[in-house]
Amino acid sequence: MGTLDAVALAGAATVALGGLLAAIGGGLRAGLAVQAAGMTLLGAAGLAVLTGGDALGAAFRSTIGPALGLDPLSGFFLAVLALTAVPTLVFARDYLPTSPGARAVGALTAAFLLALVGVLAARDVTSFLAFWELMTLLPAAAILVARRDQAVRSAVYAYLAITHLGGAGVWIALLALAHHGALGDPSALAAAGTGAQTVVALAALIGFGTKAGFIPLHAWLPRAHPVAPAHLSALMSGMMIKVALYGLIRVEFQWIGATPRWLGLALLAIGLLSSLGGVLWALVQHELKRLLAYHSIENVGIIALGLGASLLFADAGQRTWAAIAFAAALLHVANHAIFKALLFLGAGTLERAVGGLDLDHLGGLLRRMPWAGGAFLVGSMAIAGLPPLNGFASEWLVLQSLLHVALHRPLGVALAGAVALAGLAMTAALALLCFTKVVGLVLLGPPRRAECAQAVDPPMGMRAGMVALAAMCIALGLVPGLVVPTLTGLAPGVHGTVLARHAGLVLPGTGSFPSLALGLALAVLTTALIGVRGKRRAARSPTWVCGQPVAGALGWTSAGFTKPLRLVLEALLRPHRAIEVERDGGMVQSITYTGHVPSLLDAALYEPAVRTGLRAAAVARRLQSGNVRTYAAYLLGLVIGLLVLAHTGALG
Amino acid sequence: MNTLATIVQIAGVALAPLLPGSIQALKARLQGRRGPSAVQPYRTLRRLWHKSAVDLEGTSVIYWIAPPLVAACMLATLAIVPVGGHAGPFGLGNDALVLVGLLALARFALAAAAWDTGNGFSLMAAARDLMISVFGEALLVLALLLAALPAHSTDLRAMSVAAAGGHIWSAPAHWCGALAFMLVILLETGRQPIDNPDTHLELTMIHEGPLLEYGGRDLAFLQWAAGARHWVMLILGAELFLPHWGGFAASLGLLLAGVTFLCGSLALIETTQAKLRILRVPALLGVGCAIALAGAGMWVGGVGT
Repeated sequence: MGTLDAVALAGAATVALGGLLAAIGGGLRAGLAVQAAGMTLLGAAGLAVLTGGDALGAAFRSTIGPALGLDPLSGFFLAVLALTAVPTLVFARDYLPTSPGARAVGALTAAFLLALVGVLAARDVTSFLAFWELMTLLPAAAILVARRDQAVRSAVYAYLAITHLGGAGVWIALLALAHHGALGDPSALAAAGTGAQTVVALAALIGFGTKAGFIPLHAWLPRAHPVAPAHLSALMSGMMIKVALYGLIRVEFQWIGATPRWLGLALLAIGLLSSLGGVLWALVQHELKRLLAYHSIENVGIIALGLGASLLFADAGQRTWAAIAFAAALLHVANHAIFKALLFLGAGTLERAVGGLDLDHLGGLLRRMPWAGGAFLVGSMAIAGLPPLNGFASEWLVLQSLLHVALHRPLGVALAGAVALAGLAMTAALALLCFTKVVGLVLLGPPRRAECAQAVDPPMGMRAGMVALAAMCIALGLVPGLVVPTLTGLAPGVHGTVLARHAGLVLPGTGSFPSLALGLALAVLTTALIGVRGKRRAARSPTWVCGQPVAGALGWTSAGFTKPLRLVLEALLRPHRAIEVERDGGMVQSITYTGHVPSLLDAALYEPAVRTGLRAAAVARRLQSGNVRTYAAYLLGLVIGLLVLAHTGALG
Repeated sequence: MNTLATIVQIAGVALAPLLPGSIQALKARLQGRRGPSAVQPYRTLRRLWHKSAVDLEGTSVIYWIAPPLVAACMLATLAIVPVGGHAGPFGLGNDALVLVGLLALARFALAAAAWDTGNGFSLMAAARDLMISVFGEALLVLALLLAALPAHSTDLRAMSVAAAGGHIWSAPAHWCGALAFMLVILLETGRQPIDNPDTHLELTMIHEGPLLEYGGRDLAFLQWAAGARHWVMLILGAELFLPHWGGFAASLGLLLAGVTFLCGSLALIETTQAKLRILRVPALLGVGCAIALAGAGMWVGGVGT
């Protein structure tokens, strides 16, 4: 056994030990620290496998016996998992002890992390599926331990129901692959014919797509992610949906052999739908964690766009760009894991500090919580895709990939690329609108509630976790070029790398994005201009509102800021609004306004499905009369039916 | 050549305010007024430079940093956009999509500053600006795609070179691109029929709105940035979508002619067009997107190439 094997195993054992420690009384903080240490070891092993390029442990096999191992792709996901999990655990050390059910949640966190690691390390079908199911069930258990109200139970029920219905696709795909002996052998399924290939490709798309949150299979995501404790929300939105994408990449890129063109186009379509739909419904949310959950859908959409572009390039025989688009998707996996974890931790911190996350009742927190607020600002700018942060680097890569898809024949593929390019540009602009709103309502302006005026920065551990993630956002934004060449090496059919290593992104067919130089230039120029501006300022004055006093009730709200867009897209969003005016003797006493934007897909897809299901259940219930004679008649009918079938030879 | 291009690019810092000034002067002439002279923006900048800036009660670092950050973004875009197909060695690359990102950063800084002040008029304008930019950004990348098609690259220098000569004009895609980019110019420079740069009524403002709470050198930075936005957009329009050929000197000359032509066009459009209802603007930009997509289809399909 090599050193790396030992490091990986020691890491897993340490995480398990941390879980046990957390479960016993008084050991919670120590247990979480031990878990963080274990994840560091696992991440180091993953990074070593990623950069070394050699696989560790067993290779993929289609037999039943459990097998574990790591290859560079698993190593990458493991490294990203560790990068987000370690700051999250550090955060949880100060966050968790005061939460309900803290010890159980602490232990379940370790189990959840091990399940995520297990999916990444599984080398055979049985262990993959076992860890996969654990990964789904453990966060549900943790949510139920931490919160016991009816709304949360119903959200968890929806989560389990939808992910299991859709998750059946994962079972079908993997069992079919194992049946054909195609795990780790791309030629095996190709030999089985296009029929089997199509079934596996579709089943995997639905199965992993449900767990990743692709629209229209996303309905569980905005329900389940916001109700979890902050550090679990961070891990779920940051990593669990990425592990689903890991499964998708394994099947569609490595195991089904030559990928058909329709799959690339399907991924583009799904990506476009998910990114635009996710960000549009994020925009009209009033609760911060729900808004963040919708943005996870947007970002898996962006990743799907990169993956789809990669498949289309591979189909057209453009190896270099196929690898670049693949690396773009993977870079966005890492970036989204980092900034989404940061934002969910930030949301948890704010909830603690001010007791509620209704966007219209926050405000002014950047001045009162400089550390947490500053980190939240960095995360918001990163997810909005602003240079020089990491979100822009990966969005730039995906945009470039789509633009280069649009440059080449066949015409249909080129037009699909052009439409996806425009859609991604719109997504980026919508995300900017959304996070301008979030930053404005949460961090800037006057405090809109008494608690906000009293808010103070959280304890050191929570602060450190968020600042570490914010630092990663900045670092990956400044030097993405150090990572991308390694990631291109993970694309199927690429050995080594297709790009030279620079700090910035230097690609063929682009004007290059020297991120480090650009970041430095912006910093230096801004500083110089601040210097030129000098210190001459007039005395502080109030904001000009036509000579009236600045009153909180006149401040802008979340709904107000998105009103122009809601009006433009009224046909799509279909907002509901109700105004109640209370009059007394002709005088208006009070006006109540309520407004919300329903989820179109919930109304168009899920509600009819639920209604049909309930109606079918009502029909089926008529069979159960409770009368013994009816059941005897059923038995008799069954026996006669079987006899008839046996007689006609239909049973063989 | 590159030295000369560097000089022209740096000169852009000083020349940028001349563009909105000359458009205003030209527009006044077209409307039969005498109007301010073309150098009026410089006088405004000088006046603002000697006034003290204003600090608002209850604002944070965002309000304080936004004007220099916006100006820094525009300085970076000036370095990225080449002139006559050449650019100086600024080390910031020449990528078209990086430009899109920098414009977005400037937009974010201003909108966030509007939230920081809490001024209703600023926020109204910021909300409109961001709403329109959703459609504007799609149109911008599609127009850039059309310019990238002949060059097979998003390097603005290569795109400028690929758009040179007379042959490109036989492709309908190039005409579509020119039309789409004209809409982008109207949007990004805040001109009618999308926005009215002359308005002093807060309720109708888009680009001017978030500037309301600023004064002194802060406002000077933002006014200069508006000029720089004109410079960048008109140079790009002339480089990528107006006729140019021959060597570097001829290209520079034709660039000057192209920018002058675009200034004249903007003045003419402003004189003849009324402002659109804000909710109609997305439809206009959507038509632009459809034209651009049709152009991309024709180019890849091989029509006229």
